[in-house]
Amino acid sequence: MSETSRKFLIGMLLFLAAGAGVGWLYGHLDWGLLAATLVALLWQVRNLLNFERALRTGDFETFRYGEGIWEQLFSRFRFERERGSRHKKNHRVLLREVRKSTNAMPDGAVILDVNNEIITCNRAAKRLAGLKRKKDRGQRVDNILRDPGLTELLHSGDHKATVEMMSPVNDGDWLNCRVVPYGADQKLLLLQDITERMRLSKMRRDFVANASHELRSPLTVISGYLDGLADDENIPPAWKKPVAQMRRQAARMRQILSELLELSRLEGAGPAKSDQPVDVRGLIEGTVEALGGHANTARMNIEAESTAKLQGNSAEIETVIVNLLSNAIRYTPPDGEITVSWRSGSEGADLTVADTGEGIDPEYIPRLTERFFRVDKSRSRDEGSIGLGLAIVKHILARHDAELIVTSETGVGSVFRCHFSPDRVVIEPPVPLAGDG
Amino acid sequence: MDIADLNEHISRRYNQDIEDLRGSVLSMGGLVESQLSQAVAAIVTGDSELGLQVARDDYKVNNLEVNIDEECGRIIATRAPAASDLRLIVAIIKTITDLERIGDEAEKIGFLASKLAAMDRPSDSYREIKTLGNHVAHMLRDAMNAFARLDVDAALETVKQDELVDEEYEVIVRQCITFMMEDPRSIKRVMNVTWAARALERIGDHAKNICEYVIYMVQGRDVRHTLQSEHPDTAPD
Repeated sequence: MSETSRKFLIGMLLFLAAGAGVGWLYGHLDWGLLAATLVALLWQVRNLLNFERALRTGDFETFRYGEGIWEQLFSRFRFERERGSRHKKNHRVLLREVRKSTNAMPDGAVILDVNNEIITCNRAAKRLAGLKRKKDRGQRVDNILRDPGLTELLHSGDHKATVEMMSPVNDGDWLNCRVVPYGADQKLLLLQDITERMRLSKMRRDFVANASHELRSPLTVISGYLDGLADDENIPPAWKKPVAQMRRQAARMRQILSELLELSRLEGAGPAKSDQPVDVRGLIEGTVEALGGHANTARMNIEAESTAKLQGNSAEIETVIVNLLSNAIRYTPPDGEITVSWRSGSEGADLTVADTGEGIDPEYIPRLTERFFRVDKSRSRDEGSIGLGLAIVKHILARHDAELIVTSETGVGSVFRCHFSPDRVVIEPPVPLAGDG
Repeated sequence: MDIADLNEHISRRYNQDIEDLRGSVLSMGGLVESQLSQAVAAIVTGDSELGLQVARDDYKVNNLEVNIDEECGRIIATRAPAASDLRLIVAIIKTITDLERIGDEAEKIGFLASKLAAMDRPSDSYREIKTLGNHVAHMLRDAMNAFARLDVDAALETVKQDELVDEEYEVIVRQCITFMMEDPRSIKRVMNVTWAARALERIGDHAKNICEYVIYMVQGRDVRHTLQSEHPDTAPD
């Protein structure tokens, strides 16, 4: 029991005892006790009313000084109250600072609850996506940002994927959306303005396409004259070699340009469509026949176990096979072996080109599909390689919902595997041999 | 009616049903919006593949319409909605019909885009179709936003935009007539442009209808055929 309560109790008992004593002196102990009790009760009621009034009006003068239990009670109360309001003020300042900083963020941020309902958002979200912080509270975010891709992203629960969508506020602007989980069941939707990035990448694509296109016509003229010169019997023999050299380089340049054009076309195009399924096995056989058979190339085996066909663009699939195969030939010694296989199963289909060549250092594997990337700078330039082949393969595969998986061991060989998703694979009953063209 | 009013049913499951229904109408709206913007982009950029893609994807819109229709029927049958809920359901049933029609118009524009891509392109690369298309896309977006936010003022604002769309359509038609008179060889191409403009104008009308359903849903009054243009006296404030 605290000091104050003890004092209060003792005071109370003493007061009652005094009342009883006075009553006893006069011969009426009970009356004395009753009178003392009534006085004490009145006193406490008055204090209680005062306390209530002080709470109500906020005028605490009556209780400011003194040591009685009421004064103690009051000062305790006032202390707690002041502490509470101090905390509240601190929190409010903090909240304001947080809000100020989130408003200063260049990216839009929207806090969502488990049902994708908007809890709050910052100013950039308003600027970029037209969300209203107060009005849209409790609204599902995909009710306002109705891009089908974003709706799918919100419901998929995928926290790594991003979706690009057109800004609903500013025409021609693009937003990159990302969902990040946070707290208990809450999500943060981040919106980033990528208009500039999109514009730059379009500019780059257009530049490459236009530059290649513009370079092609002068090159055609040059090659034309070179062809004429090469066939001319009258030119001095000293010029024969330079002309032949120039002709080769002009042809190479033409090839680079046409591959660059092909790449920029692939980059701009959407998913590949097809009218009729591509016979991959037939393409493999044709390509092997066309590329093989030379004295100094490695032996080529075909392991086409599957007759499955592929939904896609036949010419592009052929390009994939040709590029992978010619790479394999280039890096495999004549006594090596190259295996091309085509297998299908419930998880899709795989086109694999494996060689027993020199292999690729693991650190270079992620960079293989970069344009003009070469593992060995000094080596392959003279052998007709340009450095665009795998970049083209990668883009074609992306258009066919497929991915390129490269595994390699130095000195043992490399495996280039193209994995196609099951949606693209068409399994047909095997055709009788007689009808097979 | 306010968003909060939609969420005060005793049954939580009912709230959830209503919210899901609203959500699916709005995602159907989102799909239609993207179909429209892609169809217009296909005309403007002369991308025949994109145009055909839009035409092929119209079945998605149709499927959504059927699903939402079914869900509305189910809610009416099992929950017997009254007052604002009933108005919401009625408005949704009408809205999805208009959205489906907008989807059909977008499909048509997609087809026209693939045809136009194969023909000569004018030097302004269909700028007027782009302007009209953007305008209509804004209208549709504002209509769907008004639906999501139950915002009567925005709905009225959007209804007014329809007049501008009609005017723009008028201008395009006149321009097309001039082209055809100047050069009869261009008639085939210009007719396609006219049809595309016509489809866009129709989309504007459907967007306007959706706004009217929003007003009905929120305030319970039917403003069809009574707005400013027809009866200036009854203009809502």
